[in-house]
Amino acid sequence: MIKFILNGEEVNSKANPNERLLDVLRNEFCLTGAKCGCKEGECGACSVILDNRLVNSCMVAMGSIEGSTVMTIEGYSKTDRFQVLSKAYADVSAVQCGFCIPGMLLASECLLSENPHPDEEEIRRGISGNLCRCTGYNAIVKAIKNAAKEGKGLW
Amino acid sequence: MVNSYFTTSLDEALEIRNTKPVIPYAGGTDLMIKADDQASYLFLNKIPELKQIREDEEYIRIGACATYSEVLHHRLTPQILKDAIIELAAPAIRNLGTVGGNVCNGSPKGDSALIFFVTDALLRLGSSRGEHTLPIKEFYLGRKKLALQNDELLLEILIPKKGLEHYYYKKIGARNALAISRVSFAGILNVEEGRIKNCATAFGAVSDVVVRRPDIDQMMIGKTIDEAKDTKKEYLAAYDETIVPIRGRVSAEYRKSVCMNLLQDFLETNGI
Repeated sequence: MIKFILNGEEVNSKANPNERLLDVLRNEFCLTGAKCGCKEGECGACSVILDNRLVNSCMVAMGSIEGSTVMTIEGYSKTDRFQVLSKAYADVSAVQCGFCIPGMLLASECLLSENPHPDEEEIRRGISGNLCRCTGYNAIVKAIKNAAKEGKGLW
Repeated sequence: MVNSYFTTSLDEALEIRNTKPVIPYAGGTDLMIKADDQASYLFLNKIPELKQIREDEEYIRIGACATYSEVLHHRLTPQILKDAIIELAAPAIRNLGTVGGNVCNGSPKGDSALIFFVTDALLRLGSSRGEHTLPIKEFYLGRKKLALQNDELLLEILIPKKGLEHYYYKKIGARNALAISRVSFAGILNVEEGRIKNCATAFGAVSDVVVRRPDIDQMMIGKTIDEAKDTKKEYLAAYDETIVPIRGRVSAEYRKSVCMNLLQDFLETNGI
């Protein structure tokens, strides 16, 4: 049994320690917000927050997270910060197909919690591991800029 | 049946390494690309001794399992290493990947390994038999071949504190983020009282092992900048002969010309 905190609750996983966190989240815990895009850490669609840092959950073996804290987009969606980011993304139509968005929002969260007032360059660096094949990124960058303004004091 | 091991004790990890046929797992960012259900991993990512970053009189000592992000944000980390980490992958990978993993992966494309080569870093290896320290150049025996015994773990990377100020670093990849180096180059050149005190260069991603040739760089040491200019042709010719790139995703010819251009640019930046 692998014990960790998932979206605020202590859980035990029956997974094989070599399994990817991504697969366990989706299959054992039915949390399908994290998407499988590449399985090699190249696309960021599977991003989750592990011990307060953004990671690609496809690159994490279950055996390495004993005692860790994991937050997925499902847990994050219950926060005030999520509301601000979600509205900011919607306001500028920063979402098209949506496949990258759970990862993109968590990357936005980690960026803003480290740097509440990022400039454009810092935003682009913050989301540089999250690929979006629809939007061309400009709307996403704008959404994050707006969220930083709208959510003043939250981050 | 899978036998993977998790421990937070270094002694226990060394004991497991000594008695079981395990694959050391540091950050997982290389291993998980080919995740193997049947592999026997030894998870090292939560062993405090392997995550420390500290200093002694001569060296900055980085624990093998310190992540790139931890190294990047540490006050002791030399700027040349920070520059390489900033250009490495993307934040989410830097939060998992470790410097020790980069070294033990054995790839000549490792972006932090290149910096450990150019700074002539030392590696501290440990096993339940004891420990020893060796220069990184002696650790790499050939393509993916390391001087790491089956019962050993890389514990620490020791970077000399002095003489790292005047450096040059460039990574050539296909794009900015998440790019594997096509060629990477680092050079250090310090002048003291008008004479070149040390000159070190390293070329990554061009052959089986990072190219680090102190015997060639020696040509520049002790010379004034004007004398170095006279030696430049001979120096470049020596590297021209030495660098025989492998063909990968890009042609060997391309890698070769980029190497030579970067080396020339490094010299020109230093007024040579």
